[in-house]
Amino acid sequence: MAAVGSAKVALQVAEVLETIVSCCVGPEGRQVLCTKPTGEVLVSRDGGCLLEALHLEHPIARMVVACVSSHLRKTGDGAKTFIIFLCHLLRGLHTITDKEQDSLISKNIQTHRRHWKNCCQWKFISQALLTFQTQILDYIMDHYLSKHFLSIFSSSTKERTLCRSSLELLLEAYFCGRVGRNNHSFISQLMCNYFFKSMACESGFEEVFDLVDDYFVELNVGVTGLPVSDSRIIAGLVLHRDFSVYCPADGDIRIVIVTETIQPLFSTSGSEFILNSEAQFHTSQFWIMEKTKAIMKHLQSQNVKLLLSSVKQPDLVIYYAGLNGISVVECLSPEEVSLIQRIIGLSPFVLAQASSQYEICNTALVKFCKPLILRSKRYVHLGLISTCSFIPHCIVLCGPVQGLVEQHEDALHGAFKMLRQLFKDLDLNYMIRTSDQNHTSSPPTYKTSRESNPLPEIVNGLIQRPYQGTVVKNKGKLAKTQTYLKVYSNLVVPSVELETDIPYSTPKVTPTDTYQTDETLRCLPPTKTRIIDDSEPFVESNSANSIAENTGIEISYENLQVTKIARKGSMLPVREKSLEMCTSQSYCCSTLPAGCVLPVGGNFEILLHYYLLNHARKCQQSEGTIVSMIIANALLGIPKILYKSKKGKYSFPQIYVRTLHALQTNQPMVSSQTGLESVAGKYQLLTSVLQCLTKILTIDLVINIKRQPQEMYDQDSEEEV
Amino acid sequence: MSRLEAKKPSLCKSEPLTSERVRATLCVLKGILTSSYGPSGRLKQVHNGLGGCVCTTSHSSALLSNLPVTHPILKILTTSMQNHVSCFSDCGLFTAILCCNLIENLQRTGLTPTTVIKLNQQLLHLCTSYLKSESCGCRILVDFSRPQTLLCLVRSIVTSKPASMLTREETDHISALVLRAFLLTIPDNAKDHLILGKSIIVPSKGQRVLDSSVFPGILLEMSEVQLMKILPIKKSDAFKVALFCASLSGDLSDTGEGTVVVSSRVSLENAALEQLLNLGRQLVSDHVDLVMCQKVIHPSLKQFLSMHRVIAVDRVGVALMEPLSKVTGTPPIGSLGSISPSSYGRVKDLCPAKFGFKHFLHLIPNEATICSLLLCSRNDTAWDELKLTCQTALHALQLTIKEPSVLLGGGCTETHLAAYIRHKICNEPESILKDDGCTETELQLITEAFCSALESVAGSLEHDGGEVLTDMKYGHFWSTQAESPSVVNWPDLLSRCGCGLYNSQEELHWSFLKTTRHPFAPQTCLPHEEATGSANNLTLDCFTAKLSGLQVAVETANLILDLSYIIEDKN
Repeated sequence: MAAVGSAKVALQVAEVLETIVSCCVGPEGRQVLCTKPTGEVLVSRDGGCLLEALHLEHPIARMVVACVSSHLRKTGDGAKTFIIFLCHLLRGLHTITDKEQDSLISKNIQTHRRHWKNCCQWKFISQALLTFQTQILDYIMDHYLSKHFLSIFSSSTKERTLCRSSLELLLEAYFCGRVGRNNHSFISQLMCNYFFKSMACESGFEEVFDLVDDYFVELNVGVTGLPVSDSRIIAGLVLHRDFSVYCPADGDIRIVIVTETIQPLFSTSGSEFILNSEAQFHTSQFWIMEKTKAIMKHLQSQNVKLLLSSVKQPDLVIYYAGLNGISVVECLSPEEVSLIQRIIGLSPFVLAQASSQYEICNTALVKFCKPLILRSKRYVHLGLISTCSFIPHCIVLCGPVQGLVEQHEDALHGAFKMLRQLFKDLDLNYMIRTSDQNHTSSPPTYKTSRESNPLPEIVNGLIQRPYQGTVVKNKGKLAKTQTYLKVYSNLVVPSVELETDIPYSTPKVTPTDTYQTDETLRCLPPTKTRIIDDSEPFVESNSANSIAENTGIEISYENLQVTKIARKGSMLPVREKSLEMCTSQSYCCSTLPAGCVLPVGGNFEILLHYYLLNHARKCQQSEGTIVSMIIANALLGIPKILYKSKKGKYSFPQIYVRTLHALQTNQPMVSSQTGLESVAGKYQLLTSVLQCLTKILTIDLVINIKRQPQEMYDQDSEEEV
Repeated sequence: MSRLEAKKPSLCKSEPLTSERVRATLCVLKGILTSSYGPSGRLKQVHNGLGGCVCTTSHSSALLSNLPVTHPILKILTTSMQNHVSCFSDCGLFTAILCCNLIENLQRTGLTPTTVIKLNQQLLHLCTSYLKSESCGCRILVDFSRPQTLLCLVRSIVTSKPASMLTREETDHISALVLRAFLLTIPDNAKDHLILGKSIIVPSKGQRVLDSSVFPGILLEMSEVQLMKILPIKKSDAFKVALFCASLSGDLSDTGEGTVVVSSRVSLENAALEQLLNLGRQLVSDHVDLVMCQKVIHPSLKQFLSMHRVIAVDRVGVALMEPLSKVTGTPPIGSLGSISPSSYGRVKDLCPAKFGFKHFLHLIPNEATICSLLLCSRNDTAWDELKLTCQTALHALQLTIKEPSVLLGGGCTETHLAAYIRHKICNEPESILKDDGCTETELQLITEAFCSALESVAGSLEHDGGEVLTDMKYGHFWSTQAESPSVVNWPDLLSRCGCGLYNSQEELHWSFLKTTRHPFAPQTCLPHEEATGSANNLTLDCFTAKLSGLQVAVETANLILDLSYIIEDKN
């Protein structure tokens, strides 16, 4: 059974999702209770979690959820905003469809059935969206928005030092959207304290974020049955298990880590032990005992007071450890072992060294080692002496029910993810065409490189990879567009290359057509004329608009190649720029410095809205303008929801008008709220939504198969059959 | 190959609290809880239609764990209460009733959840800071040199559990026993770090409650035949004990991952037994009097030991190992090799004992923080309840050692707190309204809801149709007998307030709890020394448990009021 997949259906789906998530968004958001089939009850305000819990059936909805979760994996934030924004975009597209139809559908397609026509139209829009995302968005971010950005770092110098008060504002705003509203300030204070306590030096904060994010589960302890306000931070590392044997020790405490059983066994794997007499059995047992005893004695003589083992040790080992005053913790998880190793830089102790002649070198000092009792459950509490920039601390999270504790855990983990993201530079790449026409190179490798590439699907996460990202990204896009092509194989499209090129058109500049073709002929190497020839029939039948597009694309590819070559030699963005400036379409690459923030309360959205509208007014090209307008208007949906419950002076229209006025008169913007949010996160959210939207728009048919459940999204291959 | 099955879509419901069904179920739950609350609470008989034992109880942990709830909101409420009870043992019903009351009252105000939660949190903060403050009028500092306060605390807990079916005399007996058992677990020479011992509850069903008693040391239960075998125990001034945690059954230890090849003439069992007997010989030559083993002792070894007049007790179980090692003063032995003389422990005396139909071997230590509380009761259900009660009381005493204060019980803390909050909000509302965008009317509505929730918890103590009142000076809780005459002279009708601190002969004015009163500042003159000394029968509550219960109740209510959707996974 097939159903028409269109923006209209997608809009319905998105609207349903929007009603659910919009009640949890922002500081006024409320909680949602999810029950699991196992009977557990989970309290959540996390959009990703809610969408997963819904177990949606509709294929488009599932695709949206997949997009959201891939976005969340990357940034850890913004699932609810994602849905709201997507919904507004679809709504915007829906209302202006009629206008679009006139401008985009050319004559020859009108002979096709209406459905395919629609699809074609949607595809054009999706291509325009891609163009917007790759070119206009970054341009606007860099040229207009960046002057409004604030920094989370306290000084403007190169030395990056974190400012506590701005970090507090940032976290407070983050937790406003993630935990219950009576707890957010407490939790954000907790996290802030945690962070500043665990940071050994000002400069090492990135390492701290990485480590805490990686080992978050090991670094927090959940306790149910106590009020949330009993949550606290304790110095040292808490292992989620009890001592097998505990001997109180003071002073110089050394620890060793073992990964195998200390007691020698009769036979190891692959070997055979032959017992010939009972006496032999006795002696071997005796030897094993003596050996174990000797090892423990030796450890004691080296002042080892604590043995951490990743495996279960035999009772005999535990007994002799106890006799020698050595505490033992068994069955540590691999994560715990690697965390300890990372903090104190200690490698496991190898038994071969244990013969008494050698000094054991793999030991480390700890400040203390004692049992910790939280709600009648016993834990091991270690005061590790850190050798890296992370001073171990643990968060004890309390709550009346497990569901609430889990919510706080997730929110804290998400906050660390968000901060980790914030402290990375974000690259913005876009093209500016200048009138200068002297090409520096015309790479003949162009075509081969494009066709031989294995078409990796790694669009996600590319923005962060600074110096190789753009090329790969284009390749990824290429892959996608080529697969779309297969779907629309009944469309009369003469060449693959032509289709794939379209997304890279530069709609913001519209030179005359004749000029364009001339340029193409002039700068293309002979090997490529074939492509142009191939595309001839389509180009001719199409409107002049598409010719401009095609040729534009070819040039942009070349420039890509140019910059790629240029990049190989240089790592400094400044030098790149100078190199690029001499090409006809200069490829700009600038970075959004790490730690860029904006005040909360829809500031980013209103700003982007304003500049997008300005931009759209300036340029004439129709579809780019329309797309910009749609995005600009959809952006306002988020602040509208945020200010929904506010009255009078703080209502949305008032704020909107005030902000626009401030922008027009170049006054500083006034924000009613004191909180900060990451610009990089917002930017990535925007690009993720646009990608998701393009994905939705390029689907024409949803085919429902009544078979064993399998991969739901491979309609492409199904349609080829 | 596992079969893939498509997940069913979940069920999503909006605004769960507005649904009539949820309100009705919440109301039923509240009814169950309130009717069980307090010394005169009604008992609940929980039984499974498919068989299994019948549980007669009014104890929150037994009630909530036996009550199956299906609705997610109720589930979150009951798990929250169960978690509280497992942390503090006490004040479970208080927490649950307060939470239900809060949800009901706050929802009735019809304000937006944001306002409700914000103000609720502020009021909670007001309560906790008052209870912790020096000027608190319902908190008494515990003087450990006078056991009277502790005894009152224990007695309040014991009387508040009517399902243990105790008479007045029995209540006094049990309370004294529990307190004695607790005092025995406190080490004599405590350094800066106090480590409490353990009271082991030993069941003895079918005897009179008054036969219950406390013994220092450990009672090891054994069959009569076993006990007769070891009798008579030879007399000496101290008994040498070998305590094993390793198995003495003679089975082979782990041989590793490779293969072990044994020639046909070699018998490993013999070898193992030979090793055990060697051990036995060593024990005998070391003049050990008692051998105890966590696991199994080989019959041959047992036989050998009994031949040499060594008492052997096996299958002690892991739970008793720690108390045993404390009583004997030695860590358990984990190896079958030669034993150093220092690893033997000692007990002062060993004697057989018989309580009811059960025979015990009584280990009397020289000095240890372990004691056995022998609890007797006439029937099983009453014994279960009595055991829960004693555990609760012991836990409350432990918590009181950590935080040496107690709260006035019998509903007085609740009414006093409500009076304090009303007064505070009436006189200085700015302190709460300073930064939020809430109006004074909203604050007053929420305060009324919060305070009446607290007061109706106190009011649920009265089950017999009597009137519930509060006085206008101290803000304490008073209740009358049922069927009181309509024309009243209150001082004659009332005798003492809920906690027993004040009597009605003082110049007091009363008002019904349900009616609106003019806010007044509750007086905080706690007669410390003489009153706690003179009023022997104060009703007291555990401070830590009640404070945490209050916080948990408000936080859970906030959580439930904040719910906008319920997503039920139907897979």
